Amino acid sequence: MKKRVLKGLLYITLTVVGLITVLPFIWMILSSFKSNEEISALHQTLLPQQFTLENYTSLQANFNFLRYFGNSVLIAIIVTVLVVYISCICGFVLSKYEFKGKNLIFGFVMMTMMIPWSVTIISRYTMFMKAGLQDTYLSLILPVMVSGFGIFMMEQDISSIPNELLEAARIDGASEFRIFHQIILPMSKNSISAIAIFQFLWVWEDYLWPYLMIDSEKKQLLAVGLTMFNGRYSTDYGGLFAATVISILPVIIVYVIFQKRFVAGVSAGSVKG
Amino acid sequence: MWRKMIAMCMTLSMLLTLTGCGNSKTASYKGVTDSQPDKGLEIMGDRVTYDPNHLVNDGKPVELEWWLWDAADLFGSIAREYEKIHPNVTIHIVNNPWDGFWTKLPLALQKGESGPTLFNVHNSYQHLLLTYMEPYDIDVNDLEADFFTAKSHEIDGKIYYCDFGIMTGTIYYNKDMWTKAGLTEKDIPKTWDEFREIAKNLTIFEGDEMVQAGFNYNGDFENLMQGVPYQYGNTIFDETGTIPSLTQDGQKKTAQMMLDFYEKDHVGDKDFGTDAAQSFGQGQSAMVYKWGHFYGYLKTNYPDINYGTFEIPTVDGKPFAYDRYNGEATPGINKNARPEQVEVAQDFIRFYLANQEKQKELCMNYSLFPANNALREDKDLQSNPAIQAVSEHIDRYIWPGAMPATLGDNLKIACQDMMYNGTSIEEALKTAEDIVKVDLSNQEFVASENLYDKYSERK
Repeated sequence: MKKRVLKGLLYITLTVVGLITVLPFIWMILSSFKSNEEISALHQTLLPQQFTLENYTSLQANFNFLRYFGNSVLIAIIVTVLVVYISCICGFVLSKYEFKGKNLIFGFVMMTMMIPWSVTIISRYTMFMKAGLQDTYLSLILPVMVSGFGIFMMEQDISSIPNELLEAARIDGASEFRIFHQIILPMSKNSISAIAIFQFLWVWEDYLWPYLMIDSEKKQLLAVGLTMFNGRYSTDYGGLFAATVISILPVIIVYVIFQKRFVAGVSAGSVKG
Repeated sequence: MWRKMIAMCMTLSMLLTLTGCGNSKTASYKGVTDSQPDKGLEIMGDRVTYDPNHLVNDGKPVELEWWLWDAADLFGSIAREYEKIHPNVTIHIVNNPWDGFWTKLPLALQKGESGPTLFNVHNSYQHLLLTYMEPYDIDVNDLEADFFTAKSHEIDGKIYYCDFGIMTGTIYYNKDMWTKAGLTEKDIPKTWDEFREIAKNLTIFEGDEMVQAGFNYNGDFENLMQGVPYQYGNTIFDETGTIPSLTQDGQKKTAQMMLDFYEKDHVGDKDFGTDAAQSFGQGQSAMVYKWGHFYGYLKTNYPDINYGTFEIPTVDGKPFAYDRYNGEATPGINKNARPEQVEVAQDFIRFYLANQEKQKELCMNYSLFPANNALREDKDLQSNPAIQAVSEHIDRYIWPGAMPATLGDNLKIACQDMMYNGTSIEEALKTAEDIVKVDLSNQEFVASENLYDKYSERK
């Protein structure tokens, strides 16, 4: 009986905490259907008193929303695919092959995770300027296509795959390339899902680097576009909320696709064995 | 099989992305050639004139970028009008968010000719931009004859940018509350003593609870502290423009007067919300002190509020200056741009400064008093309440220079200490002054107060 009461209390607590966590998000979605006047009104209501779609219909008028959205989707997908693939290859090599300097390389990869991003941005900016890569998508893809975090995760995950399985494949005549694609990748789906979600999110919300590197409006990303709603003297909250609601859709879709494997993947990457 | 197909498609799309979306600037620009110098158009402007009947860059195609942070359509319309006159010129408008503009622009200007040829300037970032700027190729005397604030932007006899309009503080009042209190336009106060009585009239209590503030300056105390002391004849900086003083009589009296509004007269309260702007919009405060941009804020957020404006009251009707102002600037020219781009940019700036119609549109958009003397009496501009309120005594407003952030930041702390922490006026202002002095000793800041033409009247 006591156990059931405690369990009930736990569920109630979790429900309340869950609601508190999700409430600002719901408020934002509902406010995107309000006018700015209603958003700033003295008496606040959760539901719109005068429902309007104007914030959505005028999005394209403020800036080329669809173009920015498309650009962000494109860059986020390319980077995510590259990071996943490169992380898997590096993780496979570092966990399943024995060669001189392996630990040194892995240590170096780990080290890159410990250097704050802000420390490297100036030198990185100078390098990309001198390479003439400003205003190209290469400048957004190259710096993030190799991820220390991804390699670490995949090394941990792949090391748990039994060596006997790979040996058996080799005896059956499978090449290393085939082993990687037909054994390692399918068996690492959980970690791949976790990296994909993290990487997609990071690229999707990255603001400063795309803003610094991309000059042309037709190439700009959505995270930069969203800041256009913050004017010098006031903010168009209605427009900002509407744009944010649409902008988080891809993130939700990616999470829904990978969520089943996400938790398992994070655990697999963090615990070796 | 289908997996291979997908992989091939993805590889192809990536290659297209990486190659197809390369740097478009590297491609050579092929524009239109202009061969008709005389277009039969009228000369524009008064002293700064623009004759459209000539070729720029010998009529050969040229393109340039113009970076800005706001109103891309409006600024873009100036560019489009110029392009109509000179079809060989293409001006690309690049709109940026305000927050990142001042990070990206200096970096872009470091790139020399790859940076933007034209860029909008804000005077508070002059120190970041000046080394990259080309002075205007316009006679300084002509500029100063047409634009009454141009002199304050003169550096070693040259002007790198000037104001197209200026903004300052006014009192916004709720007309419905005004009428309900039995007040008419004749009651608009001229002095702070009169203002105090009006504010008392407009304040409403229900029991012990204030339900309507007569005057709410929550969030604006430090702004009042930067402007009202000029009415007493005090300047913030000494004659050299380098040593600040925040503990003069005018500053102490201003602080005392503001505190008295709340503590003695009870026309407002420090706990009556933290944002006077919102409180006014929500119909809880009858009067607030706000700058011109408040007009746009109300239009966006509270379009139904019925309000008017009047000039900031003075101590005795004869102020040294009513308040300080700040300007919105004309674009700067990148001195490291290619020679043909600089030539076109100089020509464009002359067109911009001689184009009174476009300056009027800009002033209307930002609720600015026009810096161009020819627009002073413009009826459309005068119909804007934020502009109309300051127009009578606009020459009695002072520009202290592009104030370093430390001054506003520390005055804000001092004001909060006085309001919320019970710190004495002397102590709060002295602390702020000490910190500002230390901060400014590490900067090469020189105030522009001594460029005010009534500077000799200070006490």
